Amino acid sequence: MLSPHDIIVKPIVTEKSMDDMSQKKYSFKVDKKANKVQIKNAVEAVFGVKVEKVYTMNMNGKMKRQGKYVGKRADWKKAIVKLTEDSKEIQFFEGI
Amino acid sequence: MVSTVEKIEKNVATLKIEVSSEDFNKAINKSYNKNKVSFNVAGFRKGKAPRSIIERQYGENVFYEDALDFAFPEAYSKAIEEHELFPVARPDMETIDQISASEGLTITVSVAIKPEVVLGEYKGTEINSLTYEVTEEDLNEELLKLQTQNARLVSIDDAVAKDGDTVILDFEGFNDGVAFEGGKGENYSLVLGSNTFIPGFEDQLVGVKVGEEKEVNVTFPEEYHAADLSGKPVVFKVKVNEIKVQELPDIDDEFVKDISEFDTLEEFKADQKSKILEAKLISLKEEAEEKVLEVAVGNSSIEVPEPMIAEEIEKSLQNFEYRMKMQGISMEDYFKFTNGSVDSLKADIREDVIRKIKTELVLEKITEVENIEASEEAIQEEMVNYAKSYNIEIDKLKESTTENEIEYFKSLAKKKETVQLLINQAIQK
Repeated sequence: MLSPHDIIVKPIVTEKSMDDMSQKKYSFKVDKKANKVQIKNAVEAVFGVKVEKVYTMNMNGKMKRQGKYVGKRADWKKAIVKLTEDSKEIQFFEGI
Repeated sequence: MVSTVEKIEKNVATLKIEVSSEDFNKAINKSYNKNKVSFNVAGFRKGKAPRSIIERQYGENVFYEDALDFAFPEAYSKAIEEHELFPVARPDMETIDQISASEGLTITVSVAIKPEVVLGEYKGTEINSLTYEVTEEDLNEELLKLQTQNARLVSIDDAVAKDGDTVILDFEGFNDGVAFEGGKGENYSLVLGSNTFIPGFEDQLVGVKVGEEKEVNVTFPEEYHAADLSGKPVVFKVKVNEIKVQELPDIDDEFVKDISEFDTLEEFKADQKSKILEAKLISLKEEAEEKVLEVAVGNSSIEVPEPMIAEEIEKSLQNFEYRMKMQGISMEDYFKFTNGSVDSLKADIREDVIRKIKTELVLEKITEVENIEASEEAIQEEMVNYAKSYNIEIDKLKESTTENEIEYFKSLAKKKETVQLLINQAIQK
């Protein structure tokens, strides 16, 4: 059983994610094995907000090479969490 | 925005200015907009990162410096207005007591304010008479000048050279019987008494005739630039080829016609007389102006604040540097030539600057005390003068003048009025 803090790896802070915030959508890097329900519960538990909907997507790790050696970064899962209209916002910049 | 005057000492006021966090935040936002392009934050293109993100990453104070520059001028001018201070120099930031986006800004600044002028006696200064009668001598002097300017050189074969004549000669100098470098010349025209050659040379040529050969014994002066010749007695073998005598033209109607648009000597003389009178009157007036101002300043007491002096010195230095640059001399070169430094130059001009400041202040005060107003015509005249000296069309100048500039012309006109008043109330000897 994954705990909420195991599911949410870190928030994603980029131009795009900042834009989404105006629609109450927050982006996270989440555990690869977590599903939408688990993510919803984890976010609600950690930030004390109400989640309306979760979008997830699998991100392929980038191919990296050093000379002839080819490596691959780990695949990961991105989750965009949409909060309900009446929910409070997530202040997730602390400790970045 | 709240400001309090902490103290005023020696014409330097210390101000405590508080800027509310709201106003200061506006300033920080301005600063953010100005600087955001230079911050690199992962996940954002340059210039796209929000202020909060940059502040988290780089620290809260990254924008403070520029924000201070944005917030300060406004707060400062408001404070000055509130306390009715008249600053005469740039303010000095003493301490930043508090600076943060949430608490606002509190700073202490000190600024030199216009010193109190205590006027002494400025009326009834004794000056030289402002009227002048042109005498015959003045006129003759002027005519003689014209004569010499228009003199012709006439070659005379049987002349005996005297002072003022031009002698054309070949010469060769010998040091211990050996010709030395640079000591030779042919057909050189030398004006006797012009002190072109080493002392003694020209004197000995007085009395020579055309075709005469003469040995001239002279001693090079000690400070002569060529080391091997300085202080040495040498012999110049000189041959006189020609003697030219200055022939002064006669002063008559013909002469007048040649050099001026007048036809008769009488008319010309009258014109010259009025010209001399004009020049004399101007110089007398300038003298008087200087005198009354000097006395007025001398009788009043002013404590000129140090920052005011420093700023004025800075200004004159810049002015000076600019003038030197126009002549193609850099400041470094100038200091090399004169063996000076910025500090010595500053010390040199310090007295002048203080006097200048004092004069300005005293004039201003007198203008105030005497309730002098500049008339519209006087202002117009100042503008015309200004336009003339900068080669601008007067109409164009009028079009482009702002209120501030009009104020400037007004103050010029006022100043003139005041000086005129001082002269009017002076006692002519």
